[in-house]
Amino acid sequence: MTPSEKLGNYVNRRSFLGSAGIGLGSAALLSLLGRDSLGNTIDTSYDGIAGLPHHDAKIKRVIFLTMAGGPSHLETFDYKPKLDELNGKPMPESFTKGQPIAQLQGQHLKVQGHLTKFQEFGKGQFISDFLPYHRKMADQICVVKSMLTEQINHDPAHTFMNTGSAISGRPSMGAWINYGLGSDSEDLPGFVVMTSVGGRNPQPIAARQWGTGFLPSRHQGVEFNSTGDPVHYVTRPSGISGKHQQALVQSIQQLDSRRNDMVDNPEIKARIAAYEMAFRMQASVPELTDVSDEPQHVLDMYGAKPGDGSFASNCLLARRLAEKGVRFIQLYHRGWDHHGGLVKYMNTCCGLTDKPTWALLTDLKQRGMLEETLIVWGGEFGRTPMFQGKGGAGRDHHMKGFSMWLAGGGIQGGTAYGETDELGYASVKDIVHVRDLHATMLHLLGIDHNRFSVKFQGLDMRLTGVEPARVVQGVLS
Amino acid sequence: MFRNPPAVQLVTAVLATGGLFAEVDFNRDIRPILSNHCFACHGPDEHDRRGELRLDTEEGALRSGDIGDALVPGKPDDSEIIHRIFSDDPEDVMPPPDANKALSAEQRTLLRQWIEQGGGYAEPWSYRPPERHPVPEAQSPDWPENWIDNFILDRLHREGLEPAPDTDPVTLVRRLHFDLIGLPPSPQAVERFLKEWKDDQSASVEKTVRDLLSSPHFGERMAMYWLDLVRYADTCGYHGDQDHSISPYRDYVIDAFNDNLPFDQFTREQLAGDLLDSPTIDQKIATGYNRLLQTSHEGGVQAKEYLAIYFADRVRNLSNVWMGATVGCAQCHDHKYDPYTARDFYALGAFFADIDEAQHFRVGTNSLPTSRPPEINVHSKRERLRLTELEAQLSSPTFANRKEQEHLRAEIAALKKAQRKTMITVATKPRTIRVLPRGDWLDDSGPVVEPAFPSFLEKPGNSKKSGRLNRLDLANWLTNPAQGTGGLTARVMVNRFWYLVFGSGISKRLDDFGGQGEAPEHPELLDNLAVEFYQSGWDIKHMMALLVTSRTYRQSSLETVALRERDPYNRLVARQSRYRLPAETIRDNALAISGLLQTSYGGPSAKPYQPMGYYKHLNFPGRRYAHHADDRQWRRGVYVHWQRQFLHPMLRAFDAPTREECTAERPRSNTPIAAMTLLNDPSFVEAARVFSARVLSESGPEIDDRLEFIYREALSRKPDEKERQIMKRLVSMAAQDFQSNPAAARKLVSTGAAPLAEGLDTVQHAIWTTAARAILNLSETYTRN
Repeated sequence: MTPSEKLGNYVNRRSFLGSAGIGLGSAALLSLLGRDSLGNTIDTSYDGIAGLPHHDAKIKRVIFLTMAGGPSHLETFDYKPKLDELNGKPMPESFTKGQPIAQLQGQHLKVQGHLTKFQEFGKGQFISDFLPYHRKMADQICVVKSMLTEQINHDPAHTFMNTGSAISGRPSMGAWINYGLGSDSEDLPGFVVMTSVGGRNPQPIAARQWGTGFLPSRHQGVEFNSTGDPVHYVTRPSGISGKHQQALVQSIQQLDSRRNDMVDNPEIKARIAAYEMAFRMQASVPELTDVSDEPQHVLDMYGAKPGDGSFASNCLLARRLAEKGVRFIQLYHRGWDHHGGLVKYMNTCCGLTDKPTWALLTDLKQRGMLEETLIVWGGEFGRTPMFQGKGGAGRDHHMKGFSMWLAGGGIQGGTAYGETDELGYASVKDIVHVRDLHATMLHLLGIDHNRFSVKFQGLDMRLTGVEPARVVQGVLS
Repeated sequence: MFRNPPAVQLVTAVLATGGLFAEVDFNRDIRPILSNHCFACHGPDEHDRRGELRLDTEEGALRSGDIGDALVPGKPDDSEIIHRIFSDDPEDVMPPPDANKALSAEQRTLLRQWIEQGGGYAEPWSYRPPERHPVPEAQSPDWPENWIDNFILDRLHREGLEPAPDTDPVTLVRRLHFDLIGLPPSPQAVERFLKEWKDDQSASVEKTVRDLLSSPHFGERMAMYWLDLVRYADTCGYHGDQDHSISPYRDYVIDAFNDNLPFDQFTREQLAGDLLDSPTIDQKIATGYNRLLQTSHEGGVQAKEYLAIYFADRVRNLSNVWMGATVGCAQCHDHKYDPYTARDFYALGAFFADIDEAQHFRVGTNSLPTSRPPEINVHSKRERLRLTELEAQLSSPTFANRKEQEHLRAEIAALKKAQRKTMITVATKPRTIRVLPRGDWLDDSGPVVEPAFPSFLEKPGNSKKSGRLNRLDLANWLTNPAQGTGGLTARVMVNRFWYLVFGSGISKRLDDFGGQGEAPEHPELLDNLAVEFYQSGWDIKHMMALLVTSRTYRQSSLETVALRERDPYNRLVARQSRYRLPAETIRDNALAISGLLQTSYGGPSAKPYQPMGYYKHLNFPGRRYAHHADDRQWRRGVYVHWQRQFLHPMLRAFDAPTREECTAERPRSNTPIAAMTLLNDPSFVEAARVFSARVLSESGPEIDDRLEFIYREALSRKPDEKERQIMKRLVSMAAQDFQSNPAAARKLVSTGAAPLAEGLDTVQHAIWTTAARAILNLSETYTRN
């Protein structure tokens, strides 16, 4: 007997599996099997885990604008008259004694006054001269001036901001949210990450920042690239037309399906579905990233030039992704690490991001989508009130107090929340820890962070970690 | 699909109780409930303990606490536990509603049943040293091939089940190849096996197993797994993620498995090779283990903070790899579920306090590779052997011919240049280690600790060594069954060997045997395997052979509907498992089928094609990836450059870990990104076009000849009628397309750096490339059945 005859002999589906095949009861079991190893799934649609949302959601999606490198809160949103008063004087030791410090270790610490001017909008809401477009949308944003993180170096601080832990291997926010709520998009991943070009020599950024950790890998952030394939391997091989590829994919599906007739393996069904989604993505991704259908006035509003990989172009793509139902969109703009030459580089960074940020918010608002979106703006930490002088006045990394802002559904615009001390060193009033930010974000999505956990290494893992986290009611409308 | 309909919850509940026994087993049924729902407040961590009640020990449960008698053996109605868990009063009910840990009705009933039956505790199964249990008598004496089968069969019979029939020999020989060497069998190997199988089934399996275990590919396959555990990577992981010099360690691991280095010695060499008497070069290379963790020289890092990070990283890895424990959880507080104290955590880490590792904070460079002293220049074991051999040849009269001598000299010179740098462990004066209150590295108020084994695992009566314990003592303790925890280590490891050839562990959790792990479904079998392992002299090949020559291993992986409903996770092993191959094997398999696979052994890491600009976010220095354009392009996955921050997208798509932390079990996902990778990654397209050239030059001319050739090479079988139809339709579509567009055909067959086969008709070449792509995308091609 030939091998294939043997196989045919052996695999007699009727006798082995019963002529009825798989009934309804076992369809349920298939889903159970699908959960066996974390990665397995049965079909392309996925609508989250049982019991979620816990309560009515205020928003459908999050757009997280990560200003990587750590923008100075003291040149953006946190105005401290005392800082100017003490400009050039020694930093009072009462602030810094026993506190961790990064590059200024062992150096003489002196106060650096604001390197810009501020204007007040809402009560306590200040916006600096670096951000003229932010001023135009002051009534839409809620500035949190009392942020607190636990990490003082870029890489762990990003990991902490994205995953709630500095230990590698934990899922990122976008993965958590897609795991919990599922994706609203038929033909795009639920978590998309874009990193813009432009600005100064940037800090590196690791793919773990959009990793899925111990959650199923389908929830991992997918990076959209501004050059080359928009998504890795989304482009057909050279010489293969769309029709050709389609016929190939269909043949693969038919052959898999034939095999499944013989061996009845739920994994094969999952795979056929994955090929379906892959095929759809090969059309939908290029379609999404091709902005030639956008009117000129929209391109102008953002300042976007198609294909330039700028933050402006990515903001426009973020809106298009939002329209397609993508749940979590994260844009990185790097170059905010201003140890020196702060004024010069703030001009660069703000020049590249201020207007597009305003355009994104305004565009979403005009389309009635802002109220179902949460926009978060901020870096992985802030910067010291102390002077650092690597090529002109600058500031070192700082984790005890910094600013971020929130806008969109459920957020009270035109306000500020929390305070740092008189020199902008430490958050002192209404402190918002990173985990409180996570809890608030989840709350707006209809998720109670306390009840949103996954067992890993025997522990109930949460985005918000083990320490108590709170929903920041003060920023909510 | 993750929403569980009620029917599924029922099944889950039945499974959770074992579903099958009237007798409640504490470790299997009760401990997980207490651990999940009670220990956080009534467990080992005394800081968080409520109401003076401790439920993780029998003594604690029997003691009267604030609330009266928690547990009265045999009398559930007098036991406060039962009163509380059945209470309707939100003030009284346990667990409290705000803990979000409510018990299910089944769990409550089980706890009641348990107390009715005496409420006895059992020592946590994983801390009880393994002992040999009598081998059950087989009711079907013809079935077992070895004693593993008696345990499996006995349990199946007690469940009223029968094992699955043997799989067919083709599936079996494919299974053996994938499991033991991570490569598919050649068609010749399949034919040979079929012939031998016909004569004597058991003998044919044994012979094949012997051959595969002595193949150098065995070491490569085992190393794939070990490198996940110890988090081996080619880059330092943090910040600039620069390359660091460590590939000789990878080769050491491959050699160790191939040479069948006993596992206890393997352990000693990695943890403490530098402390052995006059360590060999290989033993020094092995100590690279202590340097595999992620490191940083980012401007502004505080040495003190990072030393604390490294410290915790090491404890996590050591305890995951060798102890199957999550001691890392005791960094900030006593462990919530297991008896490890915070002091144990720091005392365990203190073993590594002598490692010279702080130099890189000063001298770490933004270069490729970066500098991570101490490092030494070495040849791998193979290279050294070859050098000795060549030098002997050079001085032997048989190679007197000048031309031969020139060849020898050239090879010697090349080899001498091939020395690689590798990070090693050098002991210095140990740093002072303190318990860090709540894990805070800024807080120097904690007590100083010396290296020590976790206190609850210490055996009374052990003669204490005088003076400070060191890493060698640790390695010995981990591998000594009589005076240390060798039995426990053996159990952790054999459970993983089982996973490698059965798809999941006997205890499902491969890195946590603690209270939050899962009690094994076959505890006696696991014990016997553990004892067998250390009594065999920690012989890994012996263990692998034992597993794969069992009848249990030989079962079919197909499942009946009834079995699927009864045992969806295949915990009873009433069949074999089937699952997608790991990432590296997916690559190796496609390359092997195509004929492109390069089987050279060891050496610097290889760089396959990678999307342009994939490293664009890396900096210090900025990175330009240049793929290898020579033979290195087609090397096995185990040799692929492992960039922690940006792992090769193909490896990532198939769930290879970034190796930032210990990975004992990879997920097996099935995503659109993975589908796009197989469809469009040039490595796979190139494999298809090289395979296609083989089809055209090696098979008969008819379309059926060609289809049969493709199926035989890739799947070790013939296509059936339906498959032929589908393939023929695809081929005719491709023919129409490429005949009308030969330029497209030329483009397709030009994918990749492999030389274009000569004398082939380009259009035909392209048509069969499409056919080959179909095969290199099939589920069956990448499923181990």
